[in-house]
Amino acid sequence: MPNAPDLFDYDAVLAACAQGDQQALQRLYQQDGRHLLGVALRIVRRREVAEDVLHDAFVSIWQKAASFDAGRGAGRGWVYSVVRHQALNALRGSEREVAVDVELLAALQEAHGDTVAEQFELHASMGRLHDCLEHLDSAKRNSIVCAYVDGCSHSEIAARLKAPLGSVKAWVKRGLAALRECMG
Amino acid sequence: MNETPEQLQQLAGEYVLGTLSASARLDVAQRLTREPLLRAEVAAWERRLLPLTSLAEPAEPAPQLWPRIAATVQALTQGSALADGASNPPRAASEAASGVWRADPAGWHRWWDNLRLWRGVAGGAVAASLVLAVLLALRPAAPVAAYMVVLAAPQDRNAGWVVQTSMNRQLTLTPLHDTVVPERKALQFWTKASGWSGPVSLGLVESNRSLKLALDKLPPVQPDQLFEITLEPATGSPTGRPTGPVLYIGKAVRVM
Repeated sequence: MPNAPDLFDYDAVLAACAQGDQQALQRLYQQDGRHLLGVALRIVRRREVAEDVLHDAFVSIWQKAASFDAGRGAGRGWVYSVVRHQALNALRGSEREVAVDVELLAALQEAHGDTVAEQFELHASMGRLHDCLEHLDSAKRNSIVCAYVDGCSHSEIAARLKAPLGSVKAWVKRGLAALRECMG
Repeated sequence: MNETPEQLQQLAGEYVLGTLSASARLDVAQRLTREPLLRAEVAAWERRLLPLTSLAEPAEPAPQLWPRIAATVQALTQGSALADGASNPPRAASEAASGVWRADPAGWHRWWDNLRLWRGVAGGAVAASLVLAVLLALRPAAPVAAYMVVLAAPQDRNAGWVVQTSMNRQLTLTPLHDTVVPERKALQFWTKASGWSGPVSLGLVESNRSLKLALDKLPPVQPDQLFEITLEPATGSPTGRPTGPVLYIGKAVRVM
């Protein structure tokens, strides 16, 4: 049964992997495999691809564990970043990036405010990030969450929020700057 | 790169967010190995945005996924008992594994110069030098420049393949032992010389078969040119660049 994330010692598990302890890798899989698969699945959409991503990510975690600078309590974040980057790599090389219809986007070039329909439900359990995202206008908030959670490219955000591509690029940029300001 | 701190933060943010193009992503990944400032910005963004992962609904992995992972890890670790000091893998070797082609030249040299690593590889190197001796014996008398590469596993430092190239641009890749390839996966062979923007695929490799290639579409092999084998989807990397873990890697040494 997985522990609460704050009770599971990710840094210790990664240190054990670095020492060649394969059971430590299995403990990590048992702890976070379901959640990590969920993260990968949101980005790549297809279950078979998501499982391949998780396979490759766990092999990478095993191989890279010794290069991870343990002891700063950042192990959990590191594990999730390996899985996300593996998923994004799988995604960006595939057809989705060029699948957006340029004509359609041009047709969407209309007067557009910075208000879009909410696409995501944020949780208060996200702490400070929740508060800072709530302070952004809906366009910036949805652009950032779409990119991070669903692996949306600029064009996909534009299609989803029915907004011009140029606006989306600006929303992402300004949204990141505002988040950084808010979170420190 | 001459960026303002704001531009660097922006780049790091978009890298973590995932909105960069494939080539820009690769570029940042390469820079991360040599730019501590960029690395720190990326780490800060990973930390800031991590709570967003809670928006993804957990999904139950297929029961065979863990056995697949375990089999790959086992295959990568096989033979490490033969290597000196295998219970204590040198950090530098693992850094090389994590850097893949995105490693900086200095990092490579650190790894390459690591004596403990090479002691570990020694078993394979003996086999490799036997291969080389045979190759040299069979060589025609005409003076030719040849290169040799021992491809070693970053994790257990065991030599897995030998690459031999000749002046007439033939390359031979010879397995020293079987590599277990997981289901729906393939081995892909890559090379990169210094100054190239990225590695070039030399094609898919069968796990226990020698491979002969003509290198006529590539510039002549250079000293220190990198060769590697990565684990990729069955039809090869979808991006034209390595996407999976590095299984074997080595650097060309001129032998004649």
